[in-house]
Amino acid sequence: MTVEQKNRTEALLIEVGVEEIPARFLAGAERNLGERLTEALQTLRLLSPDAQPVTTYSTPRRLVARTPQILARQPDETEEVIGPPAKIAFDQTGNPTRAATSFAERNSTRVNKLLKIETPKGLYLGLRRRIRGRAAREVLAEALPQVILGINFPKSMYWTSKAGPRFIRPIRWLLAILAENESARVVPFEIAGIRSGKSTYGHRVAGLTAIPVKSFEEYAAKLREHQVEIDPGKRSEMIRGEVKAVLEGTGLSVFPDEDLHEWVVNSTEWPRSILGAFDRRFLHLPREILVTVMRDHQKYFAVENEAGELQPNFVTVMNLGQDTAGLIREGHERVLRARFADAEFFWEADLRIPLESRQVMLEKVTFQAQMGSYAAKVERMAAIARHICADLESQGALDAEGSSRVLHAVRLCKCDLTTQMVREFTELQGVVGGLYAREQGELEAVADAIYDHYKPANIADECPRNKVGAVVALADRLDSVVAGFTVGLEPTGSSDPFGLRRAGNGIIKIAVESLTTLNLAQVTERAIEAVEAGLARNGGEDLGHHVDSFLRERMEFYLREVAGIRYDTVRAVLSSAVPAGFGIPAVAFARAKALEQVRDTDDFLALAAAAKRTRNILTKSASSDLRDDNAPVHTDLLGEGPERALYSACQGLMNDLGRLNKSGEFGAAFRAMAGIRPQVDLFFDKVLVMAEDDALRENRLRLLAQLNRDVFASLAELSEIAAEARGS
Amino acid sequence: MCPETFFRVLGPKPWSVAYVQPSRRPADGRYGENPNRLIKHTQLQVILKPPPEDVQEVYLRSLRDIGIDFHSHDIRFEEDNWEAPTLGAWGIGWQVMLDGLEITQFTYFQQSGGVDLDPISVELTYGLERIVAFLQNVNSVYEVKWNNSVKYRDLRHREEFELSLYDFESASPESTRRLFEIYEAEAARLLKDYFAADPARRPTRFPLLKVYEFCLKCSHLFNILDARGAISVTERVALITRIRKIATEVAQVYLEQSTAAAEVKSV
Repeated sequence: MTVEQKNRTEALLIEVGVEEIPARFLAGAERNLGERLTEALQTLRLLSPDAQPVTTYSTPRRLVARTPQILARQPDETEEVIGPPAKIAFDQTGNPTRAATSFAERNSTRVNKLLKIETPKGLYLGLRRRIRGRAAREVLAEALPQVILGINFPKSMYWTSKAGPRFIRPIRWLLAILAENESARVVPFEIAGIRSGKSTYGHRVAGLTAIPVKSFEEYAAKLREHQVEIDPGKRSEMIRGEVKAVLEGTGLSVFPDEDLHEWVVNSTEWPRSILGAFDRRFLHLPREILVTVMRDHQKYFAVENEAGELQPNFVTVMNLGQDTAGLIREGHERVLRARFADAEFFWEADLRIPLESRQVMLEKVTFQAQMGSYAAKVERMAAIARHICADLESQGALDAEGSSRVLHAVRLCKCDLTTQMVREFTELQGVVGGLYAREQGELEAVADAIYDHYKPANIADECPRNKVGAVVALADRLDSVVAGFTVGLEPTGSSDPFGLRRAGNGIIKIAVESLTTLNLAQVTERAIEAVEAGLARNGGEDLGHHVDSFLRERMEFYLREVAGIRYDTVRAVLSSAVPAGFGIPAVAFARAKALEQVRDTDDFLALAAAAKRTRNILTKSASSDLRDDNAPVHTDLLGEGPERALYSACQGLMNDLGRLNKSGEFGAAFRAMAGIRPQVDLFFDKVLVMAEDDALRENRLRLLAQLNRDVFASLAELSEIAAEARGS
Repeated sequence: MCPETFFRVLGPKPWSVAYVQPSRRPADGRYGENPNRLIKHTQLQVILKPPPEDVQEVYLRSLRDIGIDFHSHDIRFEEDNWEAPTLGAWGIGWQVMLDGLEITQFTYFQQSGGVDLDPISVELTYGLERIVAFLQNVNSVYEVKWNNSVKYRDLRHREEFELSLYDFESASPESTRRLFEIYEAEAARLLKDYFAADPARRPTRFPLLKVYEFCLKCSHLFNILDARGAISVTERVALITRIRKIATEVAQVYLEQSTAAAEVKSV
């Protein structure tokens, strides 16, 4: 039992002064400090039940946490110490036994002070002790070093010696005050020789002048006076306002770039914007390259006019009050000129060697140790692409000219990995190849295909803009997946070292959205043959099966997570017999969408129930070796009425389904299926399937087998539909 | 990496030093065409072992002292961790940006020659051409006035062009590889003799600085091959490992010899 006392609350403010924390780690570190402090306050029992949460702030040079009220002292606690059972603690005369006296001695008390305590095991001798809560200042002084040093960073460092602490960057000051104004006191502790105090420091420009503070309000206000805004949210607003202000009246706007915005927020204490300009002559370089140079190297926002054309301007955010003399702008303009000169140098040097003749250089670029060089990958991709093209041509979805463009694009698509531009800007791979291809007079379709072939980068990204690009992108990913599985790099659990799930998602997305006639199952089989011809095996035995179920999972993921289709609809479609598994992904997708639409009608739910019943009967009778699922029904053995009616309805429906399936009218097909419900219901109502007569029974099972094969399991496995799944 | 840096950051002895060194990076060659990037630029290298607590302030003061006013210029410390994988050396730090121009690499060394450092040293490498161009307010390092009649272009432009030409075009990957192997073999031969001796009786007379020089030559030749695009990723890893092996053994010899010397002194 705890004795609750009226307990005062006090404010707590902590600031960890650090040499510049990398912008990309700042938000995570701030959050982690808040979590760790909250956890510590809970463990130390310093949070009152109505306490407000810990709030945090950060700048590159400080991590800040505060809470307006924590308990000034831990609540007192009562501890129960259980001694010997009461019945052995006293003798018949009621005098304490040795057990009682030695328990009292051990606890520095007397027997007459001991209590009888009722426990689940009976009556015991014991005592209650009051443990006085310790002052918050005292327990925090012990806990804060670990709260701070335990902040999780992906990469940390030593700055004194190996015996010293590790942190993201050296800690240079510590502010830790409890209570406010006249009552404000330092929570005393030390990290790496730095003692906590009650002073903060302003912006770098101000140098190391201590600013003593007594409350959070004073702290935030004084820092603002010293050109530090501790709240990243406010800095974010400042930046948006600043950018707007420098572009006011120019008709220009910056390219929205949230990642860059975030970076700027996390790398400044007092952000102010500058509008700079660069020489128009650099506009002959592709926009992609100019924008990347500005963003990656200089953290500048690119600027466009109302027509969306890139302008010879940029916006940069400085970490300083003002650029009175325009010196900072001049400096940035000078640096950008040199950066663009560099990009121009790469551009011109790279263009001197045509992509075509870079192919041999790919032998020296490793794709992956076991999967060989990019030259080897391109060989495999070409073999796979040939099969994809053949499949598409057989459906009239591609012509011979298209196929030859695909193969040409495949041969060139990885060549930009040998260019200086891609070495400098890795994220421009593909894009740079496409730009060079265009510049070197390749067909537009080929250049676009190269440009786009890393698309879709993720499930939300777009597919390549043309069919040639879609085939190249598909061949690239099929090779990665099949080769990855071949050498044993398949994803397991949460580990996916080679990003194959993402590649698999890309395969499905391209097949569903772009190459809609593609028989992925068949093409994958061919791809496995092509890869196995050139790559040593290091995976499990049943490669085909593994790749197949992997792609099936990706298909399920696409249907469920991207298209939002219910899980049992997905299962029903993917278990259907025609064609097996994911077959033609676009068809599976269309069927799933159609089924999702009709499945909630009463007729359809009844049909799904009948499908389940049929399946059960067939499964139970499967031991009978008389029956062959494909054996024809003997029409002369069919009874008049419901039995014959079901047979002829089934025959008619088969023809309709065949036609509708072929023309891709899946909605109509599923509606037609639902139309057979009366005959099915009547059959199960009036006809005994498991008849005494062997021949009759066998014929009725054959009828059900036919119904199952040609209707219930034809376009989707209806028995998979869960009746209660409605609205889930 | 200068031997005064590579060795002196090892071991416990405090050491503070500054000197000017050329830094050669074949991949940065621009045939003298780029206003800021040089295949061979000049660094003021500073080692502070151990660094003072206000080391960043000390650094900023050094910039103020040469006339950079932080009320009219934007100075930033941007994450940039330095690494010389061939030498088993790396550290955590920043590139210091002055109005968007990198003027210094500021590094807390964590390892050198594969040895964990204790205490930690700070290394500052000031890019002198860029700083001087900044101070003289000129658009290119080649426009820097060396004195009243000579510009940096007159001194260095031809060299930049020729070094770029050699590293990018004329260098023969075969000869470069052969040179690499010769220097590597020479270093390996000397180190093998040294380590063949019983730990207690290792030679005190040993041309360690010379072995380190061979190691640096290998490292530079590797950079040339890399700039030429003459090595595959797998081979790259293998070559780095070979050079690092020399570097870590050299560091080991240095530490053994300085311990031995300290013992002799205390006797």
